[in-house]
Amino acid sequence: MAPKRFLQTICLCTLLCAFPASAAEKVYIYNWTEYIPDTVLRQFTAETGIEVIYTTYDSNETMYAKLKLVDDDGYDLVVPSTYYVNKMGREDMLVALDHELLPHLGDLDPNLMDRPFDPGNVYSIPYMWGSTGIGVNSNEILPETIDSWQDLWKPEFKGRLLLQDDMREVFHMALKIKGYSSNSRDPEQIEQAYQLLRELMPNVLLFNSDSPRLPYLAGEVSIGMIWNGEAWMAQQENPAIVYIYPQEGAAFWVDSFVIPKGARNIENAHAFIDFMLRPEIAKICVEENGYATPVLGAIALLDEEVRSSPVIFPAARIVENGEFQTDVGEALPIYQQYWEKLRTGQ
Amino acid sequence: MKSRTRTLIIALIGFWLVVFGVLPILLLLFASFLGQDPEAFFELSFSLDAYRQLVDPGYLRVLLRSIWLAVLTTVFCLIIGYPFAWLTARLNRRTRMLVLILLMIPFWTNSLVRTYAIRMVLGTQGLLNTLLLHLGIIDTPIRLLYTDTAVVLGLFYLMLPFMILPLYATMEKFDFRLVEAARDLGAGFPATFRSIVWPLTLPGVLAGCIMVFVPTMGLFYVASLLGGARQLLVGNLIHQQFLNARNWPLGSATSVALIIIMALMLCVYWLFMRNLALRSHQP
Repeated sequence: MAPKRFLQTICLCTLLCAFPASAAEKVYIYNWTEYIPDTVLRQFTAETGIEVIYTTYDSNETMYAKLKLVDDDGYDLVVPSTYYVNKMGREDMLVALDHELLPHLGDLDPNLMDRPFDPGNVYSIPYMWGSTGIGVNSNEILPETIDSWQDLWKPEFKGRLLLQDDMREVFHMALKIKGYSSNSRDPEQIEQAYQLLRELMPNVLLFNSDSPRLPYLAGEVSIGMIWNGEAWMAQQENPAIVYIYPQEGAAFWVDSFVIPKGARNIENAHAFIDFMLRPEIAKICVEENGYATPVLGAIALLDEEVRSSPVIFPAARIVENGEFQTDVGEALPIYQQYWEKLRTGQ
Repeated sequence: MKSRTRTLIIALIGFWLVVFGVLPILLLLFASFLGQDPEAFFELSFSLDAYRQLVDPGYLRVLLRSIWLAVLTTVFCLIIGYPFAWLTARLNRRTRMLVLILLMIPFWTNSLVRTYAIRMVLGTQGLLNTLLLHLGIIDTPIRLLYTDTAVVLGLFYLMLPFMILPLYATMEKFDFRLVEAARDLGAGFPATFRSIVWPLTLPGVLAGCIMVFVPTMGLFYVASLLGGARQLLVGNLIHQQFLNARNWPLGSATSVALIIIMALMLCVYWLFMRNLALRSHQP
């Protein structure tokens, strides 16, 4: 074969192989509903050429069950809450992250790094953190009259409350009222919380954790639980929606990026995580989602109005008064069992 | 040639039934007898735990509530569907076709989408409340969405055609001269209905009731979108066990219970039809 001909063939073959390969660069992301703005996803694809296949879930349990089900041909990136990072790490479901591929890592809030649920951030990088408190429509209910979780138990709210469809957050309320830690592993305390929650059930109109703000905006509910970010988004549409940090303490949580075992596009997943850690991208996420970011550089970029919003960035004493969710280990099935009983009306 | 095509078609249908009907049910039955493992979906060991949990009072109550809602839906469908089918069957051929087409058109839209549409009608700021407020019939919006009423209404709306079509099929063949004859012989409306129309349309009534009742218990998304905090239908329970609680044995056992209820109803239907056939052959 003439050298020229040979070169041509090689070039052609490379082209043939390379083209479909680059067109097929993908990253499969499985995330909470409305948690990454569309503009951010589009910008990622525009910059890197990596197509994002994006699906959503509305609870850690659903995400976990789906991951177990698809096993080794599944998602490249999921965003569990801390206690699921811990659980999934323990069950060998996660890929250790390559910190070399994450140059923006140095800019993260040291308070949110190297936490007990994932020492050294081997498996997880925090994406956003926020709280669960009380949402009130001030056109219907005077916000001054509501300052504690206990207020939700008032008989006048019969059939009117929205609760998050999230086991740990619902138990948080009752455990806090009882004066226990919301990360309690004591079966007796959990049972007491369950008994208290049973009394709350007649007040509950619905459970929602896709977009809890929508029933508030549609006038279906005027009081209940809500995430701070959802309250923030609701306020953009209707300023009457107020977010209240209950005096027993709000539930605080961190959601982190992790790469599950069985991910096929591990490098792309790293590229995506690092993209999300860029200050200007993290800034957009804060503005659109209303949750706080661990990216310190992004906080400096925010408008004063956003940065000083107590809904997104609560004062230190409010955070201290609340409690961050942590792993409950072997107590998780106990919670689950009572949660199911609550949901089936026992 | 013709018989080969026929064999092929029968083989295809048989294959379809085995792969998508028999095998899944066998798998379900198998899974329902497995042990439970909170880490995985099941444990490979024989266990009756799932069935024990099934007869737990809490679960039983969901089952009973589900049956009750399905009964309500079926009764409402029958009350509206029966006169509807009767009037349709009496129309002239062209109008009849038009009515049937209008009845079928909503099926071109996915039922999930239609359920969302119902939400827009029933919501606090929905069409119905806005209309009633404007007309001055009510002062404050009525709570409809997230109630049992909304669930039954949604189920009724989705299932009505399944009641009307079998009824219409029987009534279309109905000899309306019998009604005239009864009237000539002096029977009033109640007597005509009781002793002629009802017995002769009963097969359609039964077929319609089964076609409405059985699927109703599984339409979990209607209950989750329109219903409130309580889990209402068996379908929701199954959905919960498979997708959230990771308890496949319990989810399977619940499905098996549903299949048994369905089979029992079909048995009743079959026995009844056989009786009817036997009776009509007697002089």
